[in-house]
Amino acid sequence: MTISGVPKLPLFADYRPLPGTYDEFFEAPGQPRSNMTQVLRALDKLGQREFQKRQELANSAFLNAGVTFSVYNDERGGERVFPFDLIPRVISAEEWDQVERGLAQRVMALNLFLRDVYGPQKILAEDILPQRLVLGSSGYLERLRGVTPPGGVYIHVAGIDLIRSPSGEFLVLEDNVRTPSGVSYVLENRGVMKRALPSVFKKLNVRSVDDYPSVLRDTLLESAPGGSAKGSIPPPHDSPVRAVVLTPGPFNSAYFEHSFLAGRMGCELAYASDLFVRDRKVYLKTTAGPQQIHVIYRRIDDAFLDPEFFRPDSLLGVAGLVSAYAAGNVTLANALGNGVADDKAVYPYVPDMIRFYLSEEPIIGQVQTYNLSRKQDLEYALGHLNELVVKAVDGSGGYGMLMGPTASESEIAEFRAKLEANPRGYIAQPRVELSAAPTWCDTELAPRRLDLRPFVLTGKKTWVLPGGLSRVALEENSYVVNSSQGGGSKDTWVLGASRT
Amino acid sequence: MISRVADSCFWLFRYIERAESCARLAATNHLIMLDAEHDRTERWKPVIVVLGEQARFEELIGKDRYHDDDDAEEYLTWNQENPVSIRSSLYWARENARQLREVISREMWETLNTAWQWLTSKAAQREYRSDRSQFYRRIRSLCAEFGGISDSTMLHEEPLDFMLLGMVLERANQTARLMDVKHHRLGGRETLETPWQSAQWVSQLKLCAAEESFLKRHRAAPTGRRVAEFLLRDPSFPRSVLHCFERAEQLLRRIEAATARVAATDSLQCLQAMIAHLRQAKITDVLHAGLHEELTRVIETGALVCDHLQRDFLNPVDAPEPEPEALSQLQRQTQTQSASPSSEQSQSQG
Repeated sequence: MTISGVPKLPLFADYRPLPGTYDEFFEAPGQPRSNMTQVLRALDKLGQREFQKRQELANSAFLNAGVTFSVYNDERGGERVFPFDLIPRVISAEEWDQVERGLAQRVMALNLFLRDVYGPQKILAEDILPQRLVLGSSGYLERLRGVTPPGGVYIHVAGIDLIRSPSGEFLVLEDNVRTPSGVSYVLENRGVMKRALPSVFKKLNVRSVDDYPSVLRDTLLESAPGGSAKGSIPPPHDSPVRAVVLTPGPFNSAYFEHSFLAGRMGCELAYASDLFVRDRKVYLKTTAGPQQIHVIYRRIDDAFLDPEFFRPDSLLGVAGLVSAYAAGNVTLANALGNGVADDKAVYPYVPDMIRFYLSEEPIIGQVQTYNLSRKQDLEYALGHLNELVVKAVDGSGGYGMLMGPTASESEIAEFRAKLEANPRGYIAQPRVELSAAPTWCDTELAPRRLDLRPFVLTGKKTWVLPGGLSRVALEENSYVVNSSQGGGSKDTWVLGASRT
Repeated sequence: MISRVADSCFWLFRYIERAESCARLAATNHLIMLDAEHDRTERWKPVIVVLGEQARFEELIGKDRYHDDDDAEEYLTWNQENPVSIRSSLYWARENARQLREVISREMWETLNTAWQWLTSKAAQREYRSDRSQFYRRIRSLCAEFGGISDSTMLHEEPLDFMLLGMVLERANQTARLMDVKHHRLGGRETLETPWQSAQWVSQLKLCAAEESFLKRHRAAPTGRRVAEFLLRDPSFPRSVLHCFERAEQLLRRIEAATARVAATDSLQCLQAMIAHLRQAKITDVLHAGLHEELTRVIETGALVCDHLQRDFLNPVDAPEPEPEALSQLQRQTQTQSASPSSEQSQSQG
């Protein structure tokens, strides 16, 4: 052992994969997966001691750059650095090709679903989805039926959470089509990674993630009202189309990201109080007087967007915004009412949507889900709560869920009561053995479970960011990867097609 | 640019300027007081008074603590209840910067963020204990670095103009207050022309970082009259009241051009009136009428300009009239608009 407590050994010398789990790098102890050998060799060479040095360098880089998220329950009202692990999560070109096609297919189907349920409702008429389930969703906004956003695009930005099953197959765990966050960390992680491990980068063909802000900007601009009819959009600096990012403000946990994206897109970051609506048009309060806004990339939930429409008692939001949207004078990205599409009780039907709208089979599978509004499913779930994961249908961020296998008696009793009182409010799934990857834990590498949130942008066409946010459960035996619950992140490397 | 963002820009540099100024006052006063000529019992009072902190200092630290270096410097440097302590100023500068990250350059943010990480570290505490002048020098360097990086990495456009506007108005205010306090300490107008207190005048120049510049300008011993004239209206000294106001005027003109103003704003008119007065006034007349009165006028004008800036740019209450064709539909919308100013008020505090 050295003074710093880390031996001078090849990086992976002591690594043991987790039994019964798919390991992202190793087929068996000491036996790398064939498409990972090159990456492993490059990392291995650094050695453990050098690796720890680089890990510390990375940590301080995040702190100095102020790449943080805000934590509500922190007494210092503080910002925290999202813990970052320097071992990348690597996806081969072949695997990614399938993921990319599968994501595009899924987002397209979800978008068609939204256009349908806020329009003719064919899918309900043909009884592919139970009408009660869809129209009773808390995310469904009946009053907006008949309002079609420009170009028919509802989901400009999607974050689809994937996991890997023990067999190595990618599965969709959750759709996020309201205001998914995390993409700023993808870009920041990459920046730090390049500084910390330049030699490893040089040896591999890792696909760049830097295009995201410019593709997002193009996506927003081409979704402007009237944009679909006009054809090409002029370059942004002389574009008459004006877009802003709308944030709840600096106390929001994702504020850093809102600011980051506005900065990288070269557009302004507005608070609701910076906007007002007159004559069903949206204006920004500027030093040069009011300026009309055409596209709002909003990172505020539906319910806080417009007090006139949602909550007359609220002072938050922009009064009249929904009327401007309904009049077709402003594009909201994402559109209003998307919550019905990522309602977890609707999730089990997404494969049916894909078949119904696209006449295709789903390219990516998903996790078996118990629909608790069905009597036999509910009974099964109530009898097996200690084996299942239970989630609120409109929840996110890892809040309001039950991890049956690790829950206490009282937590199980609590959820039993919740399920019996409101079965439509929850779904249940078997706990999937999420795949694991080597992760630096203080002084050694250990397997930790992880998921992947790729980002999908849709304007006139659909684009998938190569990679995404890999979130890792830093605690041993944990399955929960959310940043609010002790999760960290890794850089995600999608390898380019081999250059032979 | 967004009015709220312009307001944050304006304040960002004011806070930086305050931190720099506080570090300079603390370090300079510390040295000045080592000279024998000065009354040591109230050695920190002028500095505390300049910062407008007399009441709070006496309440929190004590009326009889003005002689105590440790108490006073702790208050000026670290005290979180002192809104103009170095720590508070840098805290608020960083908070403003945090809300401006998409506006300022990445280097600016990183400079300020790293400075803040340092100030709140043990290393900063150690340096404060072991080498205080180095500590204050470092604070001033960080502020200067931030200004330099801003100048070399930001577009020289509206956001930077608002930042610099905040800086020069803060400077004018600081200089005027320093002059006023020192003037009082010397006993008002009668003593103004008395040369025997030249040490006092030298110390005033030092506190304004003006000693070298003054000697280049006059090549003569500082008298009250010369010092007052220099600090009030030297055209080139970067902290003279007139120089700061003139820069503010240039910045405001640029901002008015960028925001396509048809007529001069109240802010600009107010500033121009004061500049005209400062240029024309004879220093003998000013001193005769009372330097204190003149300085009060300067300080009040600064405050008035800030009020006008709020209405003209930073927090406009009413949006201009809508286009004529919209008028018929306006009636229906009236309710909508009346709701927005109140929501704005409540959120801008947050």
